[in-house]
Amino acid sequence: MTPELLIDLILALLLLIIAWSALFAPSRNDAMAMFIAFGVAVALIWARLGAPDLALAEAAIGAGLTGVLFLNAARQLPESGRTTTPRKSTIKAAVFVLLSVSLFFLMLTGPVGEQLTSPVSDTRIVEAMPDAGVSYPVTAVLLNFRAWDTLLELLVLLLALSGARQLYTSSHISKAPQVAAWPLLTGWTQILAPLLVIIGGYLLWSGSKAPGGAFQAGALIASAAVTLRIVGILPPLRWSFWLTRAVISVGAIVFLMVAIATSLFAEGWLNYPVELSAGIIITIEIFATLSIALTLALLIVGDHEDLRT
Amino acid sequence: MNYALISLTAPLVSALLLVFLGYMSGRKHTGLWVLGGSVVSLVSAALALQSAMQAGLPQTINLGGWAEDLGISLRLSSLSALLLVFTAFIHLLVGTYARFSRHAPHQDFWMLSAFLHASLNALWLSADLFNLYITLELIGLAAVAMVALSGARAYKAASDYLLLSLAASLIYLLGVVLIYAQYQTLNLVHLASISSDNTLTRLALVLMTAALMLKGALWPLHLWLPAAHASAPTAVSALLSGIVVKAPLFILWLIWTELAPPELAKQVGPAVAAAGMIALSAAGWSAMRTPYIKVLVAYSTIAQLGYALMALGLLMSWQLPQLHIALWLFVIAHGLAKTSLFLAAGEMQGTLGTKRLSGLRGATQTVPVAMFAFAVAGGSLIGLPPSGGFLAKWVLLEPMLNQPQYWPWALGVLLGTLVSAAYIFRVVALSFDRARINPPDRQPDRAGHWLALLPALLVWGMALIGNQLILILAGGGI
Repeated sequence: MTPELLIDLILALLLLIIAWSALFAPSRNDAMAMFIAFGVAVALIWARLGAPDLALAEAAIGAGLTGVLFLNAARQLPESGRTTTPRKSTIKAAVFVLLSVSLFFLMLTGPVGEQLTSPVSDTRIVEAMPDAGVSYPVTAVLLNFRAWDTLLELLVLLLALSGARQLYTSSHISKAPQVAAWPLLTGWTQILAPLLVIIGGYLLWSGSKAPGGAFQAGALIASAAVTLRIVGILPPLRWSFWLTRAVISVGAIVFLMVAIATSLFAEGWLNYPVELSAGIIITIEIFATLSIALTLALLIVGDHEDLRT
Repeated sequence: MNYALISLTAPLVSALLLVFLGYMSGRKHTGLWVLGGSVVSLVSAALALQSAMQAGLPQTINLGGWAEDLGISLRLSSLSALLLVFTAFIHLLVGTYARFSRHAPHQDFWMLSAFLHASLNALWLSADLFNLYITLELIGLAAVAMVALSGARAYKAASDYLLLSLAASLIYLLGVVLIYAQYQTLNLVHLASISSDNTLTRLALVLMTAALMLKGALWPLHLWLPAAHASAPTAVSALLSGIVVKAPLFILWLIWTELAPPELAKQVGPAVAAAGMIALSAAGWSAMRTPYIKVLVAYSTIAQLGYALMALGLLMSWQLPQLHIALWLFVIAHGLAKTSLFLAAGEMQGTLGTKRLSGLRGATQTVPVAMFAFAVAGGSLIGLPPSGGFLAKWVLLEPMLNQPQYWPWALGVLLGTLVSAAYIFRVVALSFDRARINPPDRQPDRAGHWLALLPALLVWGMALIGNQLILILAGGGI
């Protein structure tokens, strides 16, 4: 047994234990804490698997922002802390065990395992990289080879926010009581938020040649906005304010304008001219970061005041 | 292909501009703005259909000029062009209804419906498994948000729909991952030529099929649909039942006719067709028993999807081109008829002030136009000649009747017809009960009622262009 395998096994076991605790913790607070830990463990596993981009995104969105979202939502719910009834948990637990064990064996044994463990070749990507405009393959895939997917993904975020808005616009959910922030938290936030924005900016800038990019940068900037909003330093980000809507939609609009422009003046839909592609990709990424940051921030802390028209 | 891209871009531009501008341009004009986008989309879709017919073979473009297994391919076949026209037309019709009827939905309806339109168009044109996943995700989110437009009473249905739809997306994605791990491409055209019959492919197909059946409310994974479709605003129910449930069906058709090895499809086909046959009678039975108008219409969607599922299953197992035609004729005839049924049901509910079927007593007198629309559209669901529903059923029955060993399937179709007739006539019979009339709460809204009648008349007119439709569906569709 090599030391690497030992680490991998520990990580896998850890993930299963945390997932179990998150699903079946009897108290709501424990379950939420376990969910955040689950995000961190998944991020570690992505890093171990050599996917730093995913690790960054998972840590920022899966553990960080979703965790805050849970805590924020729990604050507005009645106190009763229990999550599940014991009997239902047992049935769910049995299904959970059965599914994971059968999937595990299906993946690892027999012909399925053999086919799955063969590595995915990336010669196609390596060959196309000189024309991609950026030197980091993940960014090239996201913003050039499969740019249409990314354009649609930006719309997914936008639609998620539009769905969340319905909870406030089409009925009258009462306003959550505002809790005064803890002074130490306010102090820390004033140091932390600028740092987060700087790191976000760095991730955006480095995305063209190293792990990073619009989603990771957007998530970090969003978390800065979220912390500032929670301690009450940032005023409500009202949907009715034109700048909010402009920033939310600008990423998709710029991307779509690029697509239309390339199909009118260049060789076709999202077919960037090679000499301009670096500039186009950076432009799209900057605007996409802005949209992602604000959309995520509104999804997490968007409240009555923020989301009503 | 360029026309198809215009048809895709027009609703997307109007949706994004609506977000960008808010409702600053005035509440009155919001709807007209989206309707304008639908008109542009409809015209360019028609032009795309014409060019697809002239070209004969499907046209494919590789976005960004990258090789087909590196980038994403879009494909315009005559079928996808027809679906573009169909989507734009239903959106235009429902949009007109939402703009001019008394029961105008919330302002956000416009932005969401434009997004939904664009996502559907992106789906019809996609030839890439992962890209299809994103379009499914977009459609699901837009649909859930639109169900929630009804306000607090729809939240339960909307959140169930959201959770099931997300779970289904993840299962589909797992299938896509397994396919990619094995073949290292996501391009459907490419996959069609290299896929082979092995355990991993089978597992991926099972996962994707289950997910798509859940998303498309195909029996036996249909239980979320009645609550979601019945609690949505009227215009939204029409869109959801008319087009949205057909999107997963389209992908299901793609993976089983292109990705799956033909031998495997042959084996699985009868099971799929049997699920369709059970859907016809089981959901029809539920439609017969429910006390609510909209729930009846929603159950009838599940039952009618049974025909499409049956056509798909038999297409997989017999590989006859007629069944391909029957499948898509069903989709189009059902889309038109169901739009009409939901609009009529919503109008009758609003005018009579009740959600219960018993409130429809004497509806032929109190809301004659809407009731007429309901009956006419219902006639197409039953398959009375010469409606679109009849045309589709005829094409489906023809190969079955030729061979005695296929007669049990024909019996299933017959049973389905009887059940549909039972639940439609249940409503019609109530509406003629003029002795105990349920007095209307207010004057019928004439514009709304006539708009509900329009698609019902069109589905009966489908027989007139039946030859054209069959030609389109036969030409380079597969």
